[in-house]
Formats: sequence, structure tokens, C-alpha cells
Amino acid sequence: MAESRSCDEVLKAAFPSIVQKDEVQKEFSHFLVSKDLLPAITRYLHTQPGLHGRLTLLWAVDNRPTRNTYGLHYLFTLEPSHRWMLLSAELAGNDRLFPSITPHIHAAQWYEREIRDMFGLIPQGHPDLRRLVRHEHWPKGTHPLKKDFLWDHVLGRQQGEHHFRRIEGEGVFEVPVGPIHAGIIEPGHFRFSVAGEPIMQLELHHFWTHRGVEKLFEQQTLTAAVPLAERVSGDTTIGHSLAYCQAVESLLHLEVPRRGRYLRSLFLELERLHNHLGDVGAICNDTAYALPHAHCSRMKEQIMQLNDRLTGSRFLRGVTRVGGVAIDLTAAQLAEIVAEMDRIEQDFSELESIIAHNASLIDRLETTGVLTERTAWDHAVVGVVGRASGLDQDLRRDRPFAAYDELPVKVVNYRYGDVRARMRVRMDEIHESMRLVREVRLKIPQGPVAGEPSRVAQTGEWALSAVEGWRGEILYMVTAGENGTIQRCKVRDPSFVNWPAIQWAVIGNIIPDFPLINKSFNLSYAGNDL
Amino acid sequence: MFRILKKSLKTGVVTGRHPPAIQPSEPPAPEVRKKASAFNRSLAIREVDTGSCNACEMEMNALTNPVYDVERFGIHIAASPRHADALVVTGPVTVNMERALKDVYKQTPDPKLVIALGDCAINCGAFKGSYAVTGPVDRHIPVDVRIPGCPPRPADILKALTDIQERP
Ligand code: SF4
Repeated sequence: MAESRSCDEVLKAAFPSIVQKDEVQKEFSHFLVSKDLLPAITRYLHTQPGLHGRLTLLWAVDNRPTRNTYGLHYLFTLEPSHRWMLLSAELAGNDRLFPSITPHIHAAQWYEREIRDMFGLIPQGHPDLRRLVRHEHWPKGTHPLKKDFLWDHVLGRQQGEHHFRRIEGEGVFEVPVGPIHAGIIEPGHFRFSVAGEPIMQLELHHFWTHRGVEKLFEQQTLTAAVPLAERVSGDTTIGHSLAYCQAVESLLHLEVPRRGRYLRSLFLELERLHNHLGDVGAICNDTAYALPHAHCSRMKEQIMQLNDRLTGSRFLRGVTRVGGVAIDLTAAQLAEIVAEMDRIEQDFSELESIIAHNASLIDRLETTGVLTERTAWDHAVVGVVGRASGLDQDLRRDRPFAAYDELPVKVVNYRYGDVRARMRVRMDEIHESMRLVREVRLKIPQGPVAGEPSRVAQTGEWALSAVEGWRGEILYMVTAGENGTIQRCKVRDPSFVNWPAIQWAVIGNIIPDFPLINKSFNLSYAGNDL
Repeated sequence: MFRILKKSLKTGVVTGRHPPAIQPSEPPAPEVRKKASAFNRSLAIREVDTGSCNACEMEMNALTNPVYDVERFGIHIAASPRHADALVVTGPVTVNMERALKDVYKQTPDPKLVIALGDCAINCGAFKGSYAVTGPVDRHIPVDVRIPGCPPRPADILKALTDIQERP
């Protein structure tokens, strides 16, 4: 606490004109700044050694109906203390320009382009002002998150073409891939520039699955939007619904009972397990090593069937609710889970030794798709990918939620940043998750699993929440509207920050290794595109 | 080598170890079976995601795991629509994917089946009405078979797919 206050003082000393908002109940510092100061302050936060701020979330709000302004919010995590610091700036309702921070903070690039597409605000000085979410055929002037844009607006179509960055020269050619891929995966477009085998440049063209999720949230009420949160990225059902529910709970000042918190941790770990197991197998499969894939997908299936037996949903849909969880587990069911964990852990350990003894596999994985620590930091990469590149971060330890304050997590960390490191992070986390599941069974207290809200949120109140899903940090910002509606809901899946980093990890690798590198990142398209 | 053999022997055969299909699916229309009879019980499927939340994809992927093992029914996943007999479409059709879906449909050789997988593909599900969604699938291309669920369980998908293959 003392440390965080000193960070506030440092910032105030450097920029005397900023105003600190005194919000006692919030566990982060909040400053109001004028928009012209934004580049200087964010740069200071990002580069000052004692502060070491990582851009965690950047979002805009259309406040024109009430205050005739747009709000811009920059959330930083100060790495040494893991404390959050929020900078807010206001833009007069008729002002469409704001200064871009991308020239100093690389991680802001997609956020600012997103704001431009969704709100029509222009980040001045941004090096790349092409459209991001709205593909070129969207008509001019359509900015879906503006309050005067109807959620069920029927879009027209205009002519337009996406321009890729071009590398020209003798023997350089482009390889377009997607949006529809060869495997059963989601749509996205990749444009490679190659000379011979090695990749010189990769450019992503995504947002094919943009479904308007953030606008759809605004049509819902706070307590009824959980199913939508579960469908932001289907494989992260618990991660997203939990992050959403936590934000709503802090709006409603709702305390989740201990047993509910433990069950939340338990389900989150089950989700992590089935996804990590699938990924380890899929990485091996992309080197044409089918045996571990068969075993891993069998184990993954076992966990999904277990989920189905416990909750009636293979993806744990309908489990989280505002106030706690919707399903209680009996002692017998907890024992069943632990027995299944023991079986799978034994099974998986045997497989691990088979994998570790396969020299040709390891040879293929090592030094492939290296994401250096520096690049990872510059892009503010999170989750599994960050931990494989030496970034020591895990919200379960750094900002404990659910029951993680009583369930200490051993955070896995590797430095090499190659495909092998990403696979090993997953393998180690599988063991750690199983350990956590066992610990939940030992420590879980008796009692209710959910609380009921006793208060309605005031219009304009907002809350932030963060959950370490299996991919990484999931963030939600929810603003309450009138009568329990949602005024704004900002969703950030870890994929949104990790996708741009993949463009750097592939450089110098050969195209046949791209599927492998992509699999080792395993990012969500649905969660990214919203 | 010994390690691998031991592991395989210890694991044994897992195919078919899954709960039975429970979602009562309507039997496919006689025309659909007639169309499918041209494929002689071998169905090459191309999966197209037009904006799903990816849970439907994961269940399609699960079909290829050793537990469900669709290949034993002559069903396999083709890498290109040009090799496909059937398109499995998931997700509400988004504004950005609309054109790609129509292109894929055009590139799939006739005769072909279109299978709408999941509530989103059938009626846009949770995303109905959004500005970014133009679906459902049958607004853009003709749909032969519908497999409801959010997402449908692999056992249900498997049952629906094998139902199509039955002789009319
Ligand atoms: S039907 Fe359900 S599971 Fe399938 S894509 Fe739609 S929301 Fe996801």
C-alpha cells in the first residue's frame, strides 16, 4: 500500500497538473488528465524504471447523452507492485481528435485503431490508420459503439479493398492464407511476404467473426448478460463469465460466499486443464507426431465428459452466475473429480516422458517461433505466451480473485520464448492445476454457493475486473445504466494483445512452421474479434 | 519404442466410450438422404466458421478424437471446399464473413449438402439482431440439415451425420 502511494506521489510530482480522484473503495489509483498530456504521462509511466507500467487496457466511452463528452481510459499495471493505475481524459463531444500514444507504447496500436472504428475518434499521430474491425466494405461513418448508432442497424455495403503492407524486390512474393483455413479452426487472414523459404513479414487481417458483442451487452441487464459473456469465446466459458460476474458483483457490492469462490476456482482450473491438454496434443500434431495428439485429445475428452456429468455442460455453460455459482457439488462429486485427476495425471506423466524422449520432436520445437522478452514486453503480451517469454505474471498470484488468496499458485516461467517453452508452460500448468483441484477439495468450506444482490447499481457507476483464464488475462469493464441495464461493457480477451505479437515471432521462420507457431500461441479469433 | 507400445496397450481401445446421443434430432428429409446416397456412405466435410464462438468448432474437432473417431463411419474432414461433399457451417453469418461463405458454397462441387451446426447457424442464437450479423445461414445458402444445440454434443453431431448416410 505504502509502495503504491509512493508511485502516485512520483507521478504527481512529475505532472503537477493532474488531478487524483479519491475513490476509496477502488483498489487502484485514478487520475484525471488533460488529453494533451496523455502521450507524456503514459510514456513516463511506461518507461520510468520504478513504475514500469504495462498498458493493460485502453477503452473509450460515449458519454454524449449525459455529459456531452467522450471518455478515454488508460489502465496500466505497475509491474513491480502489480498495482493498477488508471488515467482518464475527456474529449468534448464535438472533438474527434485525441493524441495517439502508439509511437511510444507499441501495445496501444490495436486499441487505438479499435477506438477509431467503433467511435469515430481519430488517434492523431498513429502510424497506421487503416481500418481494423470494420472491414473496408462497411459504409463510411458507421461507428457501432456510438450511442446514436442503433444496435440492430442494417449495414449497407460499399466498395473497398484492404491494403496490405508490401515488400517489393526480386524474388519476394506474397502468400495469402485464409479467411477459411484447412483445419477446423476459426476464420482469419494471414498475409506472408517471403523470399525463398523464410518469412520476411506477416500481416494479420482479422475481425472476420465480429458479432457486435459489446453492443449486444448494452441491450442486456446486468444480471442477465452472463450467457452472452459465456459466448464471447466458447473455449473460455468460465474465464469470461467469471470476469463479467466479478465486475457486476463489485457494482452491486455483492460478496460471494467462500464456497462459491472455491467452486469458481475449481471450474476455472477444469477449463484450463481441458484446453491445455488439447493444446499440448495439437502442438505435437502440427509436427505430424500424431500419437500424443491421440492421447491428449482422449484425456481432454475425459475432462469434458466429467464436466458434462458434473454440470450438464461439456463447456461448463450455465455454471457461473452473478453472486456465485449456480451448481453445488457434493462430497462424492469432489472425490470423483480428484480420482479422475489422479488417473489423468498418471496417464499424462507417462505421455510426457514419451514426448521428452522424442529427439526429432524437440528439435522441431526448439528455437522455432521465438518471441523475445523484449518484444513480449513491448506488446504487453499476457498469459501462457508471456510466461514462456520470461514475463513473470499471473493474476492468480498477483491480484488474487475467486479463492486464490487461499490457494497459492506456483507460477510457471520459461525464458526462451520458443514453441517448446510455450508447450512446457502448458505441461507444467497442467500439473499445477491438478494440484489446485486437489487442494480445493481439501480446503473447501461448507456453506451457500451464491449470494443475492441487495442493491441496484447507480447509473454511471463502473467497475473493472480481471481473471487469469487459461490463455491469460481477461478484463471486463462494466458501466451500469438506468434500472440495472448496461451502459457500456468493454471486453478484452488475452488474444487481442497477443495476436500482434505473433507477427514478430514468425519472422525468419519458414512457412511450414507457421501452423506450429500459431498453435503454440493458440489464440481465439472469436474473443479477439468480439 | 517399448514405452510407446506399453502406453498403447495400457490404454486399450477407447472408441465409443461416450454417453449416447440424447438430443432427439429429426430424421433427415428423404430428399436429403437421396442426395447423400450419391456419396456412397463416404462423406467429405468442409467446416466453415461464419462467426461462431468456437465452442461448436471444438465439438467438431472432438469428433476426430479417438473416442468418437468419425473416420470409422467414412466421414472425413476435407482441407478444401473443392474436395468436399458437405459443408458444415457454424455461427451466425457475420457481415465480414458473408461473402466468404457464398464463395465457399460456389466452390463446393455439386451435389452438395449444407449442414447448419448449432443454434447460431440455425437462428443466430445469442447474436440475433446485431448490426454485425446478417445470418442465419439459410438466408444466404440453402440448408439441408440442422443440428440444434449450443453447442450440440459430439454424440449428437455424430448421430445426425450417420443418419444422413442411411439409405432412403
Ligand atoms: S451455437 Fe452456441 S456454441 Fe455454437 S457458436 Fe453459437 S453460441 Fe457458440
